[in-house]
Amino acid sequence: MSSADQQSRFSATLEERNKEINFLHELEELLHDPTLPKEDIFQIVITKMKDAWQFGTICEVRLRYRDKTFDTGGYIEDMPYLSADLIAGEKIVGDIQVTYTAEAPEAEIGPFLKQEKRLLDTIAFRLSDYIYNQRLKKKLASKKVTESLPDKTEWRIVIDMIRKTDPPLFMRLLRKMLHQLNWKGVEEAEMLLAELSIDLKGVEERGTEDENRPLQKRIISNYDDYISAILKLTSENFTEEEILWRVQKWIQNDNTSALIKVLESQGSSLAEISDAIRRFYHLSPEKIELSPSTVKGLRVSLLRRFMTDDLEFIQIAKDYVKLTDFYKLIDKMIFLPGSHGKLGGKSSGVFLAHNILKSSVNNAELPFEVKIPKTWYLTSDCILHYIQFNNLEEIYEQKYRDLEEIRLEYPQVMQLFKEGQFQPDIIKGLSLALDDFGDTPIIVRSSSLLEDQLGAAFSGKYKSLFLANQGTKAEKLNALMDAVAEVYASTFGPDPIEYRTERGLVDFHEEMGIMIMEVVGTRVGDYYFPAFAGVAFSNNEFRWSPRINREDGLLRIVPGLGTRAVDRVSDDYPILIAPGQPQLRVNVTMQESVKYSPKKMDVINLKTNQFQTVDVDALIKEVGIEYPQINNIVSVISNNMLRPPNPIQVDYQEDEFVVTFDGMLNKTHFLQKMHTILQILQNKFRVPVDVEFASDGKDFYLLQCRPQSFTKQNTADVIPTNAPADRIFFSASKHISNGRVPKLRFIVYVDPDAYTSLGTKEEMLEVASVVGKLNKMLPRRKFVLMGPGRWGSRGDIKLGVSVTYSQINNCAMLIEIAKQKGNYKPDLSFGTHFFQDLVESSIRYLPLFLDETESSLNESFIKKSHNLLTDMLPEFTHLSNVVFVTDISEEFDGGSLKVFVNAEQEKALAIIMPESYTEIDDIYDEPSPAFKELGTNIKYNRTAKFIERFVAKMDVDKFKIDSVLYLIPAHAMESDRMLPALLVISSAEGALLEELNSYLNVWNDCLNVVESRVEDNDSERAFEYVIGTDADSELTKFEVAGTYLINQLYPPEKNEFLS
Amino acid sequence: MADPGFNAFAMAQAQFDKVADLLELDESTRELLRNPLREYHFSIPITMDDGSHKVFRGFRSQHNDARGPGKGGIRFHPQETADTVRALSMWMTWKCAVVDIPLGGAKGGVICNPHNLSMREQEAICRGWVRQIAKNIGPIQDVPAPDVMTNPQHMLWMLDEYEAIHGAKYPGFITGKPVGMGGSLGRTEATGYGVIFTLREALKVKGIDPKDTTASVQGFGNVARHAIQLYTKLGGKVICVSSWDEADQASYSFRRISGINLDELMTITDKFGGIDKEKAKGLGYEVLSGGEWIEQEVDILIPAALENQVREDNVVKISPKVKFLVEGANGPTTPAADKVLIEKNIFVVPDFLANAGGVTCSYFEQVQGNMNYFWDKEEVLTKLDSKMTSAFHAVYDTSVKKKLYMRDAAYVISIMRVAQACHDRGWC
Repeated sequence: MSSADQQSRFSATLEERNKEINFLHELEELLHDPTLPKEDIFQIVITKMKDAWQFGTICEVRLRYRDKTFDTGGYIEDMPYLSADLIAGEKIVGDIQVTYTAEAPEAEIGPFLKQEKRLLDTIAFRLSDYIYNQRLKKKLASKKVTESLPDKTEWRIVIDMIRKTDPPLFMRLLRKMLHQLNWKGVEEAEMLLAELSIDLKGVEERGTEDENRPLQKRIISNYDDYISAILKLTSENFTEEEILWRVQKWIQNDNTSALIKVLESQGSSLAEISDAIRRFYHLSPEKIELSPSTVKGLRVSLLRRFMTDDLEFIQIAKDYVKLTDFYKLIDKMIFLPGSHGKLGGKSSGVFLAHNILKSSVNNAELPFEVKIPKTWYLTSDCILHYIQFNNLEEIYEQKYRDLEEIRLEYPQVMQLFKEGQFQPDIIKGLSLALDDFGDTPIIVRSSSLLEDQLGAAFSGKYKSLFLANQGTKAEKLNALMDAVAEVYASTFGPDPIEYRTERGLVDFHEEMGIMIMEVVGTRVGDYYFPAFAGVAFSNNEFRWSPRINREDGLLRIVPGLGTRAVDRVSDDYPILIAPGQPQLRVNVTMQESVKYSPKKMDVINLKTNQFQTVDVDALIKEVGIEYPQINNIVSVISNNMLRPPNPIQVDYQEDEFVVTFDGMLNKTHFLQKMHTILQILQNKFRVPVDVEFASDGKDFYLLQCRPQSFTKQNTADVIPTNAPADRIFFSASKHISNGRVPKLRFIVYVDPDAYTSLGTKEEMLEVASVVGKLNKMLPRRKFVLMGPGRWGSRGDIKLGVSVTYSQINNCAMLIEIAKQKGNYKPDLSFGTHFFQDLVESSIRYLPLFLDETESSLNESFIKKSHNLLTDMLPEFTHLSNVVFVTDISEEFDGGSLKVFVNAEQEKALAIIMPESYTEIDDIYDEPSPAFKELGTNIKYNRTAKFIERFVAKMDVDKFKIDSVLYLIPAHAMESDRMLPALLVISSAEGALLEELNSYLNVWNDCLNVVESRVEDNDSERAFEYVIGTDADSELTKFEVAGTYLINQLYPPEKNEFLS
Repeated sequence: MADPGFNAFAMAQAQFDKVADLLELDESTRELLRNPLREYHFSIPITMDDGSHKVFRGFRSQHNDARGPGKGGIRFHPQETADTVRALSMWMTWKCAVVDIPLGGAKGGVICNPHNLSMREQEAICRGWVRQIAKNIGPIQDVPAPDVMTNPQHMLWMLDEYEAIHGAKYPGFITGKPVGMGGSLGRTEATGYGVIFTLREALKVKGIDPKDTTASVQGFGNVARHAIQLYTKLGGKVICVSSWDEADQASYSFRRISGINLDELMTITDKFGGIDKEKAKGLGYEVLSGGEWIEQEVDILIPAALENQVREDNVVKISPKVKFLVEGANGPTTPAADKVLIEKNIFVVPDFLANAGGVTCSYFEQVQGNMNYFWDKEEVLTKLDSKMTSAFHAVYDTSVKKKLYMRDAAYVISIMRVAQACHDRGWC
């Protein structure tokens, strides 16, 4: 028998056990009801009995007593049956038979389980007893004997039943009972327990000479005495209810242990796990009352097996994800027998977010429901089986190849994957999923193990494909398989591999889970689309007004499918809103509102079975009021004003519309909702998040949730005011975001005018490839990349150099230059994908609007300098009037370029610094790993980093330092009012102590100066410090002030969080 | 890029000085007209949405009201300066005078960036601005209008505040209101029609029948469309029009020698005035590059899109056939190109005059508001025609009599009118 079979058999047994107990309980109640006549009791018993059998629905029971027959209505003679006699006073008075009316799977005794036979025997025994008792009562009554039989208590009956039907369980229960008694302080119990357990006292008495000898287990010789002793103690010390309640709970916990066993075993497959969960739930979920620790344990095990091993994730998820959620999940999972796969990052993210929001609804934190679309999942290891099944193994080496090669071969890889075949089990699963989705369009999304993990947002790196899901079943299935294969192939695409290489993830064994998700929307005419959709960020990195804070968040919202909000589209704009400052809109004048509004929308055309981009205007003319929420989405242009559509006057054929979402923002609670959702998720995920959402006009759906990539270095620079004009390379005054830019050595400059005047598309593409090559050749994060308009333009590449992220990923700063031509000012990119990558990689983005009064660019720095392009890439010399590479160090005697940015002042200034310039910020480089937990509070990170450095340099021998502890207020995340503290344990005295004091004071002042420069604070110290001789007694002083995180800085080998 | 040394007011004064020399104005008149008559600088305290308080700086410059109540827009601009407002108020004085409407020149503004303000805060600024200056503006004193980053909504807030303060209805207090809320009909047509009224008169004085002419138009926005509409109605034939393509981020010229059909083109135009290239080809138009509108063999060129479109580099491409250039846009011709136009003997109707239909219609709005009686569109346009016609002839006559380039003649006549009014009032 395979382990899977064993497993399922085991679970089945468990399930039966519970049914039995429930039934026996009821049986006892019945038999003790003096008001019911015998016949009624028989009929009720056989009816209720059915449910205690494995296949209750096809189970029929017949009871014959003397000349009477009772049955459950459909008893059939010819089927296999179980039978037990009813015996009263040593005479057979009848029998009871159980059969299945239809074919049931083969089990131990025909289709029946052994336990079922035992149960039947028990029932027969109890009924016999009852019949005998009734007869006795009659006789005694006739003799007018009033003495009644001693009444057995209910719990004893239950326990006796268990003893008969399941001796091992009975023993376990007994042992638990004994412990319970012992806890309660019953002396006899202690004695009994001593009998049973390993005698530890004895060991101590034996002395040390025998310590290698195994401890002896006590063997119990007289079971019956032992048992009756415990039962007696139980009845003396607990009430009836108490005992029954405990027994019931223990039995349930006993059931769970099977599930836990399956989950904890590394070897158990997903099939086994889902079976175990199903079994577990068949034991009537509503009655299950598990101890909190068991529940947590189960949740963690399930999260680990289904979602991820990521401890941070599990830590959060275990508080929100319920067992029932997994139970619902397993029915929607497609996997191969023996699979050990997971669902992947995207699925896990949305699963967790949804559960967090659900629990927030329950706590009334969130006053409305958030849904997630119906989703099916293919587990992550299916891709491995797919590769194996189609003999595509050589693909695994792909990720170690040269990137150019990968790029070149990618089309063939795609083709190979698409030609592959799926295993029958998967096809069956997909087919089931399609039946579930019906005719609703679906989206096939990647959900890889790496994707959406903390710190690595693979936004847009892998594919997501829409399917109209129309036509015959076979057509739909083919389209679905094709899409899955395509998503699989995208794992081996150049961009993801590049991205992984860059963040040291290339060796990680990448597996690709798939989410097949219902597309949120409604059918309108031939089209299917959501009323609106978009993406929301809890941190706003695109602040268009200094009044908007990062925490105000950012919403990119479009009509129709969210693709146009998520992706960069060169010819259209999503509506941008900061949920925390909804009144501060990006566009103020009507002209702006018209220009920067979404003109197109993505829909699914159900007639042509295709994903399609349509004109918003044309669609409104076509469908008008059929468009859900249309009046909240658009405004009408009338009399040079944007007005909300008046339901009486509006004419969808004739009026001019602009997508503004004004109605939704002003008349609905959408924004507050969105803001609340973002805040809840950010709080619970403990990092800024971004979510994708959509609405069909009625309900709000969450499509994705993941940590928002963020940088820790977001403090504002102090902009030098005394920089000599001839040293200023550029200055910018619009859309400045904070972020430290390292000292730069090179400038790569694509001349906007020269670029736009290039005659052919080929030449423009050549510029992109030159940039890509330079990106590989120049030292990482040591150069700034400047060019016209939108970096990464796809469609009209005249707007900007058509690079992909991997062609610019080594620069330290990316600058987009906007220069007005006539009245036309080029638009700079507001793309998210690219942008997030930049943020993730700490590549700073800066728009340079040269037409702003305070913006300038000194081109002559570049034009007058030697253009390194001809040396580095001689084959592209013909582009040396378009692409300029300048070595600042070479041109300015070892100098460097430093870009100072300050978002609060809306100012950025790039200055050529002399060779002697060193950066004070160098000390903030990377946050200390030990202080990672501090998350986004830059101030504490910076202080920690600084202190760590100088403690490392301290002369510990001289100062007689035993240890150094660094204390950070535990709530440093939320507040920075409390100063961190340094606890120096030293035996220094007298002059030495004074010297130590002054050493620390100097550093304190020093750091305070740095702090006040960046933080604008007015405190006198950067940290508190205490010098003492005993760590424990000093620490107690801090406990009075509040809770602290303590890090041992010295000796360094103990460097870790102590509390 | 703006030159930090550039000062709009200094430039406006220099321009005035040049004409003043021509007119041989006396010192006191120059002194009077070189500076605004009155200027108001004030603070507007606002409670912001977050409960904090912020003070905004507001201005109103009334340059001259010798010919009638002041007229001029209100700008919301973060880099607003008193000098910009002064310069613009002076230009308003000349602009009203050139079409001979009984209004003076004024301008106002608030230093603020609407991009950083919620609508409620903007409303508060509008009302605050009116409160500070309510005694010194009004339908018979000084009439504001929308300008940079202000729109009909702002005007209605200001009107409402003004009426609340004065306890009565004054629809003539402000212009740029929506139709039905005190706005005037004909406003959309006004500028484009005005352009053609002046063209018609120019053709008349040169003895040319519009039916015998062809034209090429740059731009396909509101001004261009109405200009094309009226010109075609007069019998002229537009053979080329250029438009901005939002998707390509480039402009194209659409040519059909047999004449373009406005209604037909409108059916294939998006809301940015972009004409669908493929559909245009289907209708028999040639799609040329954006700059080719100026090279067409036509009698008339109408730049009605952006400034700086007729430049030194392309003015030479103008066909020898071209005899007229009517400036529908603001500042479409650079000074260097002007010289070439003079050499080529092309008759120019300067922007100042040609696109004055807009301000004339604002005047009509004010008049209608004061009467609280609103004309039908035809009446507005008829009156516009008569105003523009006489304005053209006054400028033309001056140019002939004094042998001045039309652009100079327009300045001369307007400054002269203002100086005369001041003199007659005994101000100088």
